Amino acid sequence: MMNCEELKSMISARVDDELPPEQARRLEEHLAGCEACRRELAEMTALKKELDMIRFNEPTDAELTRYWSGVYNRLERGAGWILFSLGAIVLLCYGGFKLVEEVVRDPDIQWWVKGGVLALVFGTAILFVSLLRERLAVRKVDKYSREIER
Amino acid sequence: MERKVEPRESMDTSEDALIRQCQAGDKDAFGRLVKGCAGRAIGAAYVLLGNRDDAMEASQDAFVRAWRNIRRFDGRSRFYTWYSKVLRNVCISRLRRKRHPTVQMAVEPAGTAEHSDPSILAERNERAERIWQALRQLPLKHREILVMSHFQHMAYKDIAEALGIPIGTVMSRLHNARKALRDLLPKEFANHPAGTR
Repeated sequence: MMNCEELKSMISARVDDELPPEQARRLEEHLAGCEACRRELAEMTALKKELDMIRFNEPTDAELTRYWSGVYNRLERGAGWILFSLGAIVLLCYGGFKLVEEVVRDPDIQWWVKGGVLALVFGTAILFVSLLRERLAVRKVDKYSREIER
Repeated sequence: MERKVEPRESMDTSEDALIRQCQAGDKDAFGRLVKGCAGRAIGAAYVLLGNRDDAMEASQDAFVRAWRNIRRFDGRSRFYTWYSKVLRNVCISRLRRKRHPTVQMAVEPAGTAEHSDPSILAERNERAERIWQALRQLPLKHREILVMSHFQHMAYKDIAEALGIPIGTVMSRLHNARKALRDLLPKEFANHPAGTR
């Protein structure tokens, strides 16, 4: 005969009508001789009724249409942002390259200014790569970022 | 007691057909899927986040993510089960960003929700408000499983799939969540359940 603790989690399942027949039979046998578990079952049944009293309004068709418009706009904006970001990255890289080239080749610019510009460019590149690597590593171990994967 | 809210969509072959259309890039088909489960999605996000605007945004964000990954959906579960995983994680990310391990859930004044929001709580009586007060005090682990069972009307196997835990754990976690909720409610709730007095 199983004790109360072992059977308690079955009480909620019985309330939800989710208990397999064999477990249901064992629980019923136990309930017949255990007042504490019968009380627990009554309380869980009452609580379920209370929770079921709380409900959500189903949106009207007009509200659903507005809601879907919001999702659709985000989908479109997402594609826009990707294109915008790609374009910005390409242009920034090209502009940065031309700037560095011009500064390095210009004989009128002091050597320490050239050094400063090069340090800035390489520092930015290192920071970017480091951040990117960190984000990728976090993505691999963070369960919350993998909601899509099964 | 009979469920109060039935999902709008009929989750059978029509859903399979819609999914296939979505995977072929048909946004109108996705729109039909979204409209079919938006009510449940907003409601569930509201319970988790405690704020109506956040709930609208989070549920829409989750639909955008679902669309971007719709080709990975293999049809082994229902769309809503898969989507609920995305929604859960969008909500958790938002809570983490805000550094609110337990949310401050605003209980809407009676009668306002019907005018201002498509799918927030309809029933606004004192008992419901007390349950809300208790729900907001629960840890996220308990709140989310109650959301799935009571507000998203998910079966145990779907909850297990969404949370990545065995069905036995669903049983025990749900039982513990209900016990924790019961302990936060006044004694008369258990003695006089709704509709018995």
